[in-house]
Amino acid sequence: MRTDRRTFIQLCAATSGALVLGVDFAEAAEETAKPFEPNAWLRIEPDGRIVMKVGKSEMGQGVRTSLPMILAEELDVAVESIYIEQASPGPSFKGLGTGGSGSIMGQWMRLRPAGAAARAMLVAAAAERWGVSASTLQTSNGAVVDGPTKRRATYAELASDAAKQPVPEKPQLKDRKSYRIVGTSRKRTDGPDIVTGRARYGIDVRVPGMLYAVVARAPQWGSKVESFDATAAKKVSGVRHVLQIPNGVAVVADNTWAAMRGREALRVNWTVSPHASFDSVEHMKALERAIEKPALTIRKDAEGRAAFEKVKKTYEATYSYPFAAHAALEPLNCTVFVGEGKATVWSPTQTPNGVHAAATQVLGLPESAITVNVMLIGGGFGRRLGVDFDREALEIAKLVKGTPVQLVWSREDDMRHGYFQAASVHRLAAGFDDEERLVAWEHRKASTPHNARSVPTKDDKVNPETVRGWAWGVYDMPYFIASAEMSYAVVDAPVPIGPWRAVFSPPSVFARECFIDEIAQETKRDPLKLRLTLLGADDPSVSPIFDVADEHIDRRRLRKVLETVAEKSGWATPVAAGRARGIACNVFHTETYIAYVVEVSLKKAGAMPFRVERVVCALDCGVAVNPLGVAQQVESGVIWSLSNMKSEITVRNGSVQQGFYTDFPVVMIDETPMSIETHIVASDDDRPHGLGEPAVCPFAPAVVNALSRLTGKRIRSLPVKL
Amino acid sequence: MPQRPVTINGKRHVIEADDAMPLLWVLRDLLGMTGTKYGCGAGVCGSCTVLENGRAIRSCQTNFSDTGDKSYTTIEGLSAAGDHPIQKAWLAEDVAQCGYCQPGMILELRSLLRSKASPSSAEIDAALSDHVCRCGSYPRIRKAALLAAKSGGGR
Repeated sequence: MRTDRRTFIQLCAATSGALVLGVDFAEAAEETAKPFEPNAWLRIEPDGRIVMKVGKSEMGQGVRTSLPMILAEELDVAVESIYIEQASPGPSFKGLGTGGSGSIMGQWMRLRPAGAAARAMLVAAAAERWGVSASTLQTSNGAVVDGPTKRRATYAELASDAAKQPVPEKPQLKDRKSYRIVGTSRKRTDGPDIVTGRARYGIDVRVPGMLYAVVARAPQWGSKVESFDATAAKKVSGVRHVLQIPNGVAVVADNTWAAMRGREALRVNWTVSPHASFDSVEHMKALERAIEKPALTIRKDAEGRAAFEKVKKTYEATYSYPFAAHAALEPLNCTVFVGEGKATVWSPTQTPNGVHAAATQVLGLPESAITVNVMLIGGGFGRRLGVDFDREALEIAKLVKGTPVQLVWSREDDMRHGYFQAASVHRLAAGFDDEERLVAWEHRKASTPHNARSVPTKDDKVNPETVRGWAWGVYDMPYFIASAEMSYAVVDAPVPIGPWRAVFSPPSVFARECFIDEIAQETKRDPLKLRLTLLGADDPSVSPIFDVADEHIDRRRLRKVLETVAEKSGWATPVAAGRARGIACNVFHTETYIAYVVEVSLKKAGAMPFRVERVVCALDCGVAVNPLGVAQQVESGVIWSLSNMKSEITVRNGSVQQGFYTDFPVVMIDETPMSIETHIVASDDDRPHGLGEPAVCPFAPAVVNALSRLTGKRIRSLPVKL
Repeated sequence: MPQRPVTINGKRHVIEADDAMPLLWVLRDLLGMTGTKYGCGAGVCGSCTVLENGRAIRSCQTNFSDTGDKSYTTIEGLSAAGDHPIQKAWLAEDVAQCGYCQPGMILELRSLLRSKASPSSAEIDAALSDHVCRCGSYPRIRKAALLAAKSGGGR
């Protein structure tokens, strides 16, 4: 009996996952042709097809390309021979989630042993069949080969025997020197589907008989539905239902457009918002007041701020960073079908298990009765780590049980009801000794912690370890300065704050790296040379390794990327007339080391008053699994960061003022730098680290540093106003 | 509700829809052709771009009642086998990241190359300058566009 695919997937979901399937299949002995499935990540079908589960959501970062490369390397098969299936949350997959630039590293830890274990079992099966020692056998491109006899058996031929082999606990992993696939450039596996329109994102889910929904949400945070009049909405052709849900009023219709028109006709009275007077201009002033005095210390080196009492000269500057939206092109959406005692969800989610949990709560069904299909994501950037939109879809589907329904957020919904990057204000101070050496450092940050997915407690806000976790880019300042003190002032706001590409880092790194440039200018030093000096280039007594909290920074690696970017950009050579160069660097979570040199001019680029003429990036991410993917993430980070120099989210009377790409303009093609070069620095670090977020952080400061030099006027806030 | 014939990718469909319904939703929700994307509904982002008699238009700004005697091409119909020179150039330069904006970008370029077979990089920028790509695939779009022009994307 040959199980069909659907049945088989359900069978898999019913088992407990990794490393026990050998037993399960032994028990199911009446099956003659069955897949070899040594763990949850991989199975080899009797027909030889190798099927891999992708445990990360594809949102453009290329996981459906890079992750199969890792498995193929250890399993010793061609990447092209791997079929991929998106993993769904369940007993085998309890921790699916895509964020923190952790996809490649997280899956590296899982897929290498998964591939190596399977390979070892296939080799063991061949050894048993041929009566030879496994150590005499090799694998090559999907087959086990016996060198001396030239015997050869494909993985397909060996699969059912391999399933009977014990799963090795610590399979031998390949040595880095013998990689054939990892480290080569591979094009996107999803490319052909994308260019033909076949790629299915969450919003493209089409189920027979489905309806479409939009939700009228409170125009101000904290308001609730007081009453609503659906008379006119129900008269709109195609509108089927008008339903109150916890988050507002849903209009359910035969098509998206009818639902949107129905919402326009809907009249809702909202309760008075407790935040009706919230204004982002006033909020920025509150942040400025909050850094007038030090708040909670999150790092103190040597004498801390007391060192400023002894310095010869102090230099200070204040930086600010606005609220910002994700503004992914695919608006938030989720499709749900609630049947009798079961449900199916299709979500473009970064947190499949979060959706699973939300579904159990909203529907009152056990997880085993709910299937969550993880769809392609038309831009994630952290926003889809929230399940607010999934919850809305679940609430609506519960009310129209028996009918599948797709919730779509309009562009304005997506922009106005975001989980935003928090606005922040930074005060930095540098103290110099008699010889103008930088000997004291202070960085105070005032901002709002994440509050959208869970609200920090009073205790959280005074716990230095918790607060430090909100201050990436502040406490992990990599330079050696004898005395330093960093502090964080929590300023609450009703604005929903959540993870946004690179999370807490972009504002902090912007402030820190611009301030370093100011110090260099103030003390007439070259900003590259100053950074290298502060990283111990001239002083062997400066420790090359720097540990702070759980971060482990190797200053030599940061120096190396700075030296590389300087060399590749011609930092030491004169820049063309009308241009200036800027430089900045960062270590993202002690993992990816990255530096940019940019050249800017004051020629217009699209709607921008300046143009980034050239971008040179050098980075050390350990193992670059797919160098082409690395370059793409750098390009993406550059454009993302450049958009932050152009747009901001502002709030008035408790409402976000922007709603479209016209008032929250992102970078367009005519504003894009003409040249972006990525140089991957060879690294001793034998693990691969992420790029999606690291590539964002030091770009804006590099550009601002160049612009400040070019215009002679220091820019200390974003968006850039020349 | 009125029934109207509309020709999409060479095939004539008779569709019943409200006159004011944008072509975008006719395609996506009534015909299930989801290659044409919803991004803003305001004609700003370009992700809903389709070809109308060969010229790029925003399907979110085109009422169903105005589609009458015209012929439309969506991304699904650009080529039967997915091997139009623009699609091939896109794959050669590995343009896409999330890919959501790419159907609109590709069809806008198709429209440009039809009227101008060998555009300059600046002309490509100008033609695509009202298409949003939030991932930032623009540098590769430029390269692919030049490659597509060279390889007969305007034919």
